[in-house]
Amino acid sequence: MIKLGISAFYHDSAACITNGNLVLAAAEEERFTGIKHDSSFPVNAIKWLLRSTVTDISQIEEVHWYENPEKKDDRVKTIFNKRPIRTFFLRQRYKKDRKNNSPEALLKNLGYTGKIIYHDHHYSHAAFSYYTSPYRDAAILTVDGVGEWETTTISKGEGKEIKKLISIDFPNSLGMLYSTITSYLGFRPNEGEYKVMGLAPYGNKTKYINKLYKVLTNTSNKYFINQKYFTWEYSNRVMFTKELCKLLDIPPRLPEEPLTQEHKDLAASLQKLYENEFIKLLETAKNITKSNNICLGGGCAYNGVANALAYKYFDKVYIPFAPSDAGSAIGACLDNHSQFSPYLGTSFTDKQVSKILSTYKESIYIFKLSEDKLINTVADILSKQKIVAWFQGRMEFGARALGNRSILASPVLPNMREKLNKVIKKREGFRPFAPSVPLDNADRFFDLKEPSPYMNKVVKGKTKLIPSATHINGTCRVQTVTALQNPKYFKLLKEVGRLTQIPVLLNTSFNLKDQTITISPKQAIERYLSSDIDFLVINNYLIRKK
Amino acid sequence: MNIKDTIKKKLEDLKKDKEYKKKIEELKKRDPFVYKNF
Repeated sequence: MIKLGISAFYHDSAACITNGNLVLAAAEEERFTGIKHDSSFPVNAIKWLLRSTVTDISQIEEVHWYENPEKKDDRVKTIFNKRPIRTFFLRQRYKKDRKNNSPEALLKNLGYTGKIIYHDHHYSHAAFSYYTSPYRDAAILTVDGVGEWETTTISKGEGKEIKKLISIDFPNSLGMLYSTITSYLGFRPNEGEYKVMGLAPYGNKTKYINKLYKVLTNTSNKYFINQKYFTWEYSNRVMFTKELCKLLDIPPRLPEEPLTQEHKDLAASLQKLYENEFIKLLETAKNITKSNNICLGGGCAYNGVANALAYKYFDKVYIPFAPSDAGSAIGACLDNHSQFSPYLGTSFTDKQVSKILSTYKESIYIFKLSEDKLINTVADILSKQKIVAWFQGRMEFGARALGNRSILASPVLPNMREKLNKVIKKREGFRPFAPSVPLDNADRFFDLKEPSPYMNKVVKGKTKLIPSATHINGTCRVQTVTALQNPKYFKLLKEVGRLTQIPVLLNTSFNLKDQTITISPKQAIERYLSSDIDFLVINNYLIRKK
Repeated sequence: MNIKDTIKKKLEDLKKDKEYKKKIEELKKRDPFVYKNF
């Protein structure tokens, strides 16, 4: 059965096409529109999916929608009814959006009039995590901002069944709390959370923790958030009230203002609170499922530091490659286990690449090499501390570049991190970069309990040999690579290891400031030419500026 | 706490209050700085 999976209208809209439980292709809408975290109906992604899989819309037998609009509507109307006057204009806008965002109407515009099956938002997260895991028995913990009503769920996966055991509803939301403090610190919610995580090790985690615990209270296996401090139920402009400012006793930071030690302390305290609450959820998940395995899902599963805490209660921990709303487009389609790689997006043949490159002949030197020669040459370039943009095969699905749309550099010199942050990515200097390492060499550099193929576990580094890949607290968000997972990238890492004795590379997504990850060779060349990246590699073409 | 200190604290609180209000109003004028939930 050919299915189209869709997630839209919250964050990271995406679509996929599956045949049975095989995912043929998937992509996020943002890659086509260039709008980061684009939440609009993924019309461009769907059109590309149909083209790339040579599927006509009439061949789609079912559309699986990642959430239940009726249940969401119930939540939104219920919270608006608490403050009918204050939410009057929001309600009008919501009604208009609801009408414009009707899945039936939007799909009809594409020529689809068949069956649409709606799944609960957190079920889609849980399904993506559990069904792409290697386990047939697992606890499943999903944590995000909000779905329809749910913000946190604990389920048990057994065989092909997923049974929900506990849920926590809006407005009690750990994800919303994290996003609110993210915005308080002057970073954009649903994007700046990474920055807060990166900032946290620079701060004192005890400074604001008691104050933050005034907004969150616990019972045995749930948490509650005092809405006195938040505007989540009635504002679409800011997320907190003046009461939160009074409680924290520091003003909110505007994005252009400098980061102070107090901001770092607040980031550290928030991360600590999140970890405390996450570990309680893990304990509950263990107690009620009795499983030795856990699958994590929802946007909060991008919190690699907290994810690593799951080993306190579980022997095996799985986090999929796109745990946020994007992955839910796939989760909604799956009804049984299916393992596939994250490389589900666009790819380009040498003929297509050559044609595009020829239009830039005046600006670039182009060298077409055999794969072995390319690997040797690029490894040599990287070992000489040059920066390489690496564009290969199919684009990754999810927020992480996993070696197909990456900017690569050597982690050996301490100033490489600053160079990448300030000169290439033009972003805050405190932000860490993730290292990639062949799985069989990982133990020499990192304190890993299991492979980490999708860069979503933060672990202790074991060596001082890779300072640019190690955060201030000695941790690394590592990606382990195998020949099966990504043969060409694996070969490159091995060759770098042969030349330098350190088979590790800094791997950051191939994009510049405020851009989405590079989707096409044309975009790759334009970005390369407008940056200080030393070399560009597309398939087996090595490119250098004139 | 004597009256002088109480008044001093009240004035400080009022000053902070004003600053918080100003910051929130400033944020409201910008692009929505929220995690979308409606």
